[in-house]
Amino acid sequence: MKTRPPGPVTFPDVVRFSVVLAVSLTAQHALLDSVRASGAHPEAMLLLPAAAGYVAGPERGAVAGFFTGLVADLLLPTTFGLTALVGCLIGFVVGVATSGLVRTSWSIAVLSGTAATVIGLCAYAILGAVLGQPSMLTSDLAPALVVATPSAVVLAVPALALVRWAIPPPAPAASVPSAGPGW
Amino acid sequence: MARTRRSRRRRPRLTIGLLVLASITVITLDFRGSGHGAIGWAKRAAHDAFTPVQDAVDAVVHPIGSFLAGAVHAGSLEQQNAKLRAELNRLQHQSLTDKNAAQTLHALQALEDLPWASAVPQVAAIPKVAAEVVALNPSDFAATIQLNVGRDRGVDVGMPVVGGAGLVGQVVDAWSTGCTVRLITDARSSVGIRFGSPPGYALLQGSGVGRALTVQYVQPETPMRKGEVLVTSGLQGALFPPGIPVATVRTYASSPSSTQETVTAAPVVDLGALQYVDVLQWEPSA
Repeated sequence: MKTRPPGPVTFPDVVRFSVVLAVSLTAQHALLDSVRASGAHPEAMLLLPAAAGYVAGPERGAVAGFFTGLVADLLLPTTFGLTALVGCLIGFVVGVATSGLVRTSWSIAVLSGTAATVIGLCAYAILGAVLGQPSMLTSDLAPALVVATPSAVVLAVPALALVRWAIPPPAPAASVPSAGPGW
Repeated sequence: MARTRRSRRRRPRLTIGLLVLASITVITLDFRGSGHGAIGWAKRAAHDAFTPVQDAVDAVVHPIGSFLAGAVHAGSLEQQNAKLRAELNRLQHQSLTDKNAAQTLHALQALEDLPWASAVPQVAAIPKVAAEVVALNPSDFAATIQLNVGRDRGVDVGMPVVGGAGLVGQVVDAWSTGCTVRLITDARSSVGIRFGSPPGYALLQGSGVGRALTVQYVQPETPMRKGEVLVTSGLQGALFPPGIPVATVRTYASSPSSTQETVTAAPVVDLGALQYVDVLQWEPSA
């Protein structure tokens, strides 16, 4: 599985990720929202933070997840900031969980994305219930999980490809201490 | 060097801490502003900017969406197909296109002259804006629809939305060219209702998509029957004008020890098949 060379996030990377966000948001609202079963539809916007955490580690994953969630929240009728909170947590958790992997593969990436979608939806519903909407947990969560989980398996691959194009992984920390000049 | 490595390990934790804090701040601001503050403005601006893009892309990719939706609902589509074939056999002179056009015309006529509104002078006098439903709930966690009329046509937050048979919901967000309507089935929806004679008053609470509405605060031994129509109460400070049909009683149960009756109701409007609605240009007094 090819990845971009590690390095700092530059302005072109920010532009690329903005393009990825715009494409994903458009695909979500113009295409995926119309694919409905039991009132629920596939969820692409939770896959981006997961992919960012997988590709670029916990810190960049959290930042990407936060901004993905904020943008998604702009067009949702639910509490503003809820998706941003869930997004940054997903990016961070996936980044931490997969940063110790010796080698990467598409199957692990798809599994991470699917698991992150399930955890993200559960977190979303729990936070919604805490904020005074218990039906998010009691009646809305089950159909959302039934529809979003299998669709995440399919959508994880394009989400990962888009994020790999947009965000570089961080440069690894120096493992051998330098002796310094003049030694 | 060791300090540098330690700080590199700490940085992601600091970042996630700050982001969580920022998220909670935004959530708090949203709660306090209730859609009228900076966040409400940002959401309206985003809708204004995104709606033309969505319309353009929707026009291109709609066939793909329909194909995918068809794949998901293959079973029910087969049943529908069989039904339509039977109907075609009975009514060979009428094409499907004609039928669809007739249904649309019927729906629009029903909206033009709301059948129940003639009995409610307060509602008949309210100006209304006809609208088309352009999107179903964009979130899995809210029962909402989007309409193709917005502030440009005089639609504003708080206005009631009705269908041919009765109340559909209330506008909760409006931008230049569209608005979001919270359906009466949404868990955050509460409608003050009136029923029976002499009139009884109660609160109709949404329970989520596809679930029965619950009628709260019905006192024990209140006379009520299955199928009874519940209409908006219009009491002082109410969110809706009086007399709009909302739901019919579905189940009614009484237990000796409870302080209120257990009543469920079904919306009078088929909220799963909405195509055209009317926005009543009436704003709550409070």
